[in-house]
Amino acid sequence: MGIIEKVPAYIERVPGGGIVITSVEDVLNWSSASSQWYLLFGLACCAIEMMATGASRYDFDRLGMIFRASPRQADLMMVCGTVTHKMGTRVKLLYEQMAEPRYVLAMGGCASSGGPFYYDCYSVLKGVDKIIPVDVYIPGCPPRPESLMQGTLKMREVIKNQKLRDFAGDKPMA
Amino acid sequence: MTRQEIEQKLTKDYGRFIEVMPTEFPEAIVYIAKEKYVEFCKYLHDDPDLAFDFLFQLGGVHYPNDRFEVVVCLSSHKHQHEMTFKVKLPHENPEINTLINIWHVADFFELEMMELFGIKVVDHPHPRPLLLYEGWDYGYPLRKGWTGPDFIPLPDKSTSAE
Repeated sequence: MGIIEKVPAYIERVPGGGIVITSVEDVLNWSSASSQWYLLFGLACCAIEMMATGASRYDFDRLGMIFRASPRQADLMMVCGTVTHKMGTRVKLLYEQMAEPRYVLAMGGCASSGGPFYYDCYSVLKGVDKIIPVDVYIPGCPPRPESLMQGTLKMREVIKNQKLRDFAGDKPMA
Repeated sequence: MTRQEIEQKLTKDYGRFIEVMPTEFPEAIVYIAKEKYVEFCKYLHDDPDLAFDFLFQLGGVHYPNDRFEVVVCLSSHKHQHEMTFKVKLPHENPEINTLINIWHVADFFELEMMELFGIKVVDHPHPRPLLLYEGWDYGYPLRKGWTGPDFIPLPDKSTSAE
């Protein structure tokens, strides 16, 4: 029955069809969560796992995840790898170029906290959340494709639980 | 050539300026006097028996309060042998000449060494920042004892083990 199973809705049957009554919020969140087009952001070894996830064995496409090479077309930024201070300014610029609503997924120890480069390192940013807001963190060094897919399912929960007034500018989108 | 043959040849030709280090590795390790650095490199590159046509590593080492060293690793496609040589530099104002005219690959290695160790390459054709971010003004990060913004030193294990 399509939409009926995905979002809370009421269906009223009339001869020859039916009328679906639901909320705009639920439909928007459902469509947004079901097709997260992600920005290709391979920075280090995590990118290899991301590529493996996108390839045929794990097949990201079946979750509605299609990679985009431009931030203008992307909904989700997957930061896969070590973010250096020098790259950090570029990451922030690309994040600002993405259209709202936009989400960030930090993949692996380096993007989450600096990982193995936390101590005694002059060049690595101690977590990408110091420059852009992160919605979902995935632990691992690097995480396996299964972890990445679990992370994207967590991201769906984040999107499905957001409120419509978040879009209206009452408060900045996370 | 084996390590012993290379060591013998270098001692025969440059005996007054080099110091052969004892090693168990298959490649020779020698120290060369700083004033013969470029001449020695030309000799290593051009001599038909040595023919070191490939530089695969050039880097710096910092010994705090003592000296800097430049370490150059060479190999030869023709003879399939390798060697390493080092140059000692003073702790204050370390300076060295460029090797670009002999091995062009030394270009980026020297830029990196200049930026991260502060070892000045005096006749480098285009000295410029290469790796650190724009507006870096915190010194040379690979020197021992360096600290800077967002730098977290490793906690002492003997005190934090509890």
